[in-house]
Amino acid sequence: MIKLQNVNKYFYRGEPREVHALRDINLIIEAGEFTLFRGPSGCGKTTLLNVIGALDSCDSGEIFLQEREITALSEGERTNLRLHEMGFVFQAYNLIPVLNVEENIGFVMRLRGFSDSDIKKRVLEVATLLEIDNKLKSLPNALSGGQQQRVAVARAVAAKPKIILADEPTANLDSKNSEILIGMMRELNEREEISILFASHDELIMRSVTRIVTLIDGAVADDYKQ
Amino acid sequence: MFKLALKNTLFYKGRSTATAVLTFASTILFILYISLTNGSHNAILENSLKIYTGAIEIYHKDYRDIGGNEYLIQNVKAITDKLAKIEAIEAYSTRYETYGLLSNKEHSAASMVAGIEPEKEKILSSLESALTEGAFLDKNSANCVYMGIELAKKLKLGIGDEVAFIGSASDGSFAADIFRVCATFKTGSFEFDSSSSFIARSYFDELMYAKNRASYITIKLKNIDDAEKVNSQIITIIDDENLESLTWKTLMRNMVESMEVDAVFGYISLSLFMVVIFFVIMIYGFINVSSRIKGFGVLRCIGLSKRNIFSILFYEILILSILATVLATPIAAYICYYYSINPIVIEGIADIYKDYGIVLNEIPFDFNLFTIGWNLGVIYLLNFLSILYPYMYINSFGPFEATRHV
Ligand SMILES: Nc1ncnc2c1ncn2[C@@H]1O[C@H](COP(=O)(O)OP(=O)(O)OP(=O)(O)O)[C@@H](O)[C@H]1O
Ligand SMILES: [Mg+2]
Repeated sequence: MIKLQNVNKYFYRGEPREVHALRDINLIIEAGEFTLFRGPSGCGKTTLLNVIGALDSCDSGEIFLQEREITALSEGERTNLRLHEMGFVFQAYNLIPVLNVEENIGFVMRLRGFSDSDIKKRVLEVATLLEIDNKLKSLPNALSGGQQQRVAVARAVAAKPKIILADEPTANLDSKNSEILIGMMRELNEREEISILFASHDELIMRSVTRIVTLIDGAVADDYKQ
Repeated sequence: MFKLALKNTLFYKGRSTATAVLTFASTILFILYISLTNGSHNAILENSLKIYTGAIEIYHKDYRDIGGNEYLIQNVKAITDKLAKIEAIEAYSTRYETYGLLSNKEHSAASMVAGIEPEKEKILSSLESALTEGAFLDKNSANCVYMGIELAKKLKLGIGDEVAFIGSASDGSFAADIFRVCATFKTGSFEFDSSSSFIARSYFDELMYAKNRASYITIKLKNIDDAEKVNSQIITIIDDENLESLTWKTLMRNMVESMEVDAVFGYISLSLFMVVIFFVIMIYGFINVSSRIKGFGVLRCIGLSKRNIFSILFYEILILSILATVLATPIAAYICYYYSINPIVIEGIADIYKDYGIVLNEIPFDFNLFTIGWNLGVIYLLNFLSILYPYMYINSFGPFEATRHV
């Protein structure tokens, strides 16, 4: 469960160009929810994902992950939290170019100290689910965009995080690949009880998610479950 | 992390190669530079010591500044008996130096004429090995004179010719004799070769009333590095405040000073050299890292700590440094070794340094594993320092900010 209480975030605070990127956000996201943050460009979707993902700090308010207050953690603790509880999927795939697919997927697990055999098993499992098991030895730049993004999703889920944060994961994909990717993520979400949070404009995602939070100008304008 | 670093270095072949080549070149240059500097200093020192100056010399106080018969060492035997007991001394010899006029029928020249102990000089100095013609002195040489080749030329003397000597004996009385040129020598130092001649003490002492007296006692050590230590030992053992015992550092102050100045310039140019290496490697590393900010940002996002990032950079530079130095060190060491045995010959070098007694146009390298070791240490240190700034630069971005970096 993720709980946000009166979260505010500014950029350039105190300067004339100050941006109030998040305004009094209050949200509770239950475990296993499949949520979309949507809204016009610049409304604060990415910023919200980043503060939830402990990539960025907020200026006031608290964010809890389970009982833990993320907003009170030190930088080292936040890094650790990201490693152990979060998975990230970026718009630009952001795979590690020097590692092959198998190593990329297993990377977070390796960092967390899983055994080689566990890693191998799990990598194969998620790769099969995401239908990239025949590409395990390829380097990322030998894959199509859709395949790369599936590897990115596989990397994010492999170590069984509690939350996956996906910022515009389909922005670089065609609709067919987007559909495949979202379908697979939905399956992972249901099977592994991982909360998945999207930030996107994509209609496709809108149709698949269980909850849509609309942001306007940094504030929650609408929140409904379907 | 190590594996990732290794893969990075293998993946980005171009920049890995460039970094390794930079390190390779600087390692070689650095080792050779130091080796050359040390080698030439050692050579200067060795040559000048070998010719005539001892590692330690004992004088009566004021002899060196004022000179003259009042400042001769008296009762030499008592002192040499004491010296004989010091382990670290390889050999010692007494010299009686005086100045006089040497002349034949047409020419005359002032010269230092020194009474020496020929057998001992063979061990102590390179006088004997400087022989060009004739036979070196021995204790039965009688009135044989061993003459600098330039002096012989000046006086137009050849082997077997006679030359008149006029000087003053140690008691101040008039001394004159006829010497015979038995041999000539050439040290390479024009100064020395044109103003020095030697007579066996066994003969000269009679002429000069110099028995058991000496201008100074010259000492050769088993190991020149012990000079300071042995010197204080000598001072204690002799225990005579009218005498002074001086090491080569004092005796050849001019030369030592010039060597030190040389060394200071050496160190200045060396540090410039290192600064250049440092900046080249660092700027290069910085450019590399800048182009990878995004990648590092992704790693930070998915949970790598700053320490992990540092490890990656560290291992990368470590791998490349090891690679470069493993290749460079044997090459550099071999070059040093080769030129320490077969010194580079540069015509004219001896002329520049002849005042200091440099005999040969040779510049030997110094082959010293310890020196090579610390050289390598410096290279590694520079390489590691060179990743600090790029590392700080990476950290100046937040993880997410970095993923957006272009
Ligand atoms: N690093 C930053 N520095 C300064 N301002 C920022 C930064 N990141 C975001 N902002 C500002 O905060 C506001 C919210 O930005 P955010 O990126 O969260 O929007 P978004 O909803 O993700 O937009 P988009 O749909 O275009 O991705 C914008 O006005 C943006 O200009
Ligand atoms: Mg965005």
